[in-house]
Amino acid sequence: MPVAARSIGEALVTIAGRDRVRDDIGSLDAAIVDGLRPRWVVGPASIDELSRVIALAQDAGLAVVPRGTGSSLELGHPPSRVDVVLDLAGLDRVIEYNPDDLTITVQAGMAAGTLAALLAPHRQWLPIDPPGIAARTLGGVTATNASGPLRARFGGLRDLLLGVRFVQPDGVVTWGGSKVVKSVSGYDVPKLMVGALGTLGVLAELTLRLHPLPDSERSWLVPLDRPQAAQDFVARLIDSPLQPSRVELFNDNAARRLLAESGSAGVAVSIGSVADAVRDQGERLGALAKAVDAGVVPLPEGFWSKVSSAMEPPPGWTALHVTSLAGHLADTVDAIGDIVRTAASNADVRLSGCASFGTLRLLMGGASVAEMAAVTTRVRAWVGDVGGSAVIARGPVELRRTVDPWGPVEPGALGLMRALRNEFDPKRVLNPGRYVGGL
Amino acid sequence: MPLSGPFLQELERIVGAAGLVRTLEGRLVYECDMHTFYKGAPDAVALPRRADEVVEIVKLCRRERVPIVPRGSGTGLIGGAMAPAGGVMIGTNRMDAILEIDLPNRCATVEPGLINLSLTRAVANSGYFFAPDPSSQMVSSIGGNVATNAGGPHCLKYGITTNHVLGLELVTGTGELVRLGGKGAERPGYDLLGAAVGSEGTFGIVTAVTVRLLHVAEAVKTILASFTAIEDASEAVSAIIAAGIVPAALEMLDELMIRAINEGTGAGYPKDAAAVLLIELDGPAAEVEAQGERAARICWERGALEVRVAADVAERALLWKGRKEAAGAVGRLAPTYLLQDAVVPRSKLPAIMRELIAIGARHRVQIANVFHAGDGNLHPLILYDDREPEELERAKAANEDLLRACIEMGGTVTGEHGVGLDKAKNLPLQYAEADLNFMYRLRRAFDPDLIMNPGKLLPSHPACGEGFRPARPRVPDGAWI
Repeated sequence: MPVAARSIGEALVTIAGRDRVRDDIGSLDAAIVDGLRPRWVVGPASIDELSRVIALAQDAGLAVVPRGTGSSLELGHPPSRVDVVLDLAGLDRVIEYNPDDLTITVQAGMAAGTLAALLAPHRQWLPIDPPGIAARTLGGVTATNASGPLRARFGGLRDLLLGVRFVQPDGVVTWGGSKVVKSVSGYDVPKLMVGALGTLGVLAELTLRLHPLPDSERSWLVPLDRPQAAQDFVARLIDSPLQPSRVELFNDNAARRLLAESGSAGVAVSIGSVADAVRDQGERLGALAKAVDAGVVPLPEGFWSKVSSAMEPPPGWTALHVTSLAGHLADTVDAIGDIVRTAASNADVRLSGCASFGTLRLLMGGASVAEMAAVTTRVRAWVGDVGGSAVIARGPVELRRTVDPWGPVEPGALGLMRALRNEFDPKRVLNPGRYVGGL
Repeated sequence: MPLSGPFLQELERIVGAAGLVRTLEGRLVYECDMHTFYKGAPDAVALPRRADEVVEIVKLCRRERVPIVPRGSGTGLIGGAMAPAGGVMIGTNRMDAILEIDLPNRCATVEPGLINLSLTRAVANSGYFFAPDPSSQMVSSIGGNVATNAGGPHCLKYGITTNHVLGLELVTGTGELVRLGGKGAERPGYDLLGAAVGSEGTFGIVTAVTVRLLHVAEAVKTILASFTAIEDASEAVSAIIAAGIVPAALEMLDELMIRAINEGTGAGYPKDAAAVLLIELDGPAAEVEAQGERAARICWERGALEVRVAADVAERALLWKGRKEAAGAVGRLAPTYLLQDAVVPRSKLPAIMRELIAIGARHRVQIANVFHAGDGNLHPLILYDDREPEELERAKAANEDLLRACIEMGGTVTGEHGVGLDKAKNLPLQYAEADLNFMYRLRRAFDPDLIMNPGKLLPSHPACGEGFRPARPRVPDGAWI
């Protein structure tokens, strides 16, 4: 092995240029991850630079934490080491967009809001809307498998990601999937990358399936204060011919935050289609609500972008992503309510979720770490019984040191995950320790 | 590689005499799938009834390093469910129970040998259906659909098998039974479920599948539009997609295919049509009505000769009749054919149709087309006479040229049939060595001894072999600790 002639810092500068390698205290402090200050913040301007930075990191035994806008750095275990924070927001170019194909290839650092603005003139969109989506990078949304109300109709990133270019932990640039809407050529590598938190490779380029924007869209709130009534209503809705784009449940707190005094717990439904069909389905939604003795309240324009900010946890709050089943929606909401009342009685709680899938997002503020830990553990135990899970999507580092932020993974599946992690990143270059099972 | 006596005895102890096929004539039944070009009979066929039997078989085979080939109904089109290296075939046909129908959670759990259509039939009265609808759905198994990530005419709107699989119980190549996914939306950790669907039996063998059930649409509208030029039909397809309409199905037939179908089935497509589009819309009635009118208008604007709208179920069936019997009708044109499954970006349809005509002329072969135009998934049938070896060679050459043309236009080698033995050699057209190497290593996490369906899905190129590592990027000199 050659003797070190220059420092790693100089090598990084050689690769990415002086402007894009920061090691001043201000930059490093701003990039602290769970209390760990990196030695460098590097912002590669090309996939080639990204690849060479990662190869260098592997050779030099450095730990790399990739970040887009940094909105999900409080996801997962605290990393065991942090040497380089990779700032990917500079990789934000469009690689290929032909509107007639309803697909686009972009670099992963592009903000979702930028993409939306680019697509809107062509009456197209990427129907994915986790809280705070506009500012988030597409790579970050993909790596964390974030989703929002639109999953009711369009599924998650796994249903929208067609192809992916990523940099493996040894620096090798790799492509998986295809650029067309339908392909079974080889393994479905893109799915493996969704929600992998960059532990098998840093996402560099994404080919995404787009959808046409509907001609018209309207939304209504069906106020239902009892969770069982909400579940019954949602069951009727799914059994009906209606095709809602969103079927989002809100608790009182969340609804009041969104709609002030007129807000109350219930299910917000949006319908997007040709104008006639929206009008027609709106009327039928009213009839369905009536059948459970509820009314419908038309929701104002801009309601869903308010949801996007209202369901982002304020600093110091915790977001718990709870996966249950549609058929257990009411039980789950009731159980969460009971658990919070007994384990964190003073907590401020906002709850929303995709009612037709049985996934819920629980925001908790004004609770101690011990209280939030107790809520997490007990909610996890409850949904575990119906095959669900509870993941801390965001939360203070002390909380994520106290309870496993991911929760249990079935042993056989975890064994396979460990085998993959060991195969592709034996030296733990990428996000060491952050992923499930401390991988 | 003949199997030893003790090995066969052990196999018989696991599955019982009735679950073991050892005779030559019995094994020959399993020597190929619907791609009859590739033949290879297994040395034994085991027909287990339960997952624990599958576990035992895999462990036995692993101990003895005997290859395993999983097989459902054998309706695949890629040389996937056949045994080029012999070994043990595991047929899932006796594992065909519906384990649970869970309507409150809109899902069902079934054994892999269950026939696709049987599931839809079991839930139809409740207003639900299982969306993946490969043309073989009357006979193909759900386990096979999962293995090949099967598509079908209606996957334009509803997605392919992977979009409808919630959970799998899988016996990996080490004989371990693992559960991936489940009824719920997602679980923490890698999406191993997503990686396993479409792995063509190279990760292991599926012993139970949890699938999503969908509610049937309120209204369906089927439109048949015929054109005097295939370019016009191709442009109509692009225009329909560009107009924001997502039909449930959008199928195209070319002139040669129309002729074969008209002669063979009496579907009554217009005689002077050079292309027929079959457009099916489903959803809420008002939406279907509005989009149906818009789609019909687009067809007229692109110079349609005729636009027919089915008025009732019977007419709808008649419009589909020709499409469904297309593969059979082609028998009137030539004794046999090579079937292609490449995909191009939708906007490239007019260009690839022109290229296809040129390729046919260059290699002096007839190419009939019936395909999923809405998602750019071609199904050219390259006709040849298998009694003329030279004709086969020309058909093969045309096939290669066509694949290359599709890849050059940004497409993919296979859209829904899968890779199998047939297309493994073509993957390097689409993927670099680093990409293939990643897949190879992925597979080894599930099947470290490479006993599961060896030779399928990945090319046996040395680049994919043991120990190969693609070139890493150069690190600046002297950058060492």
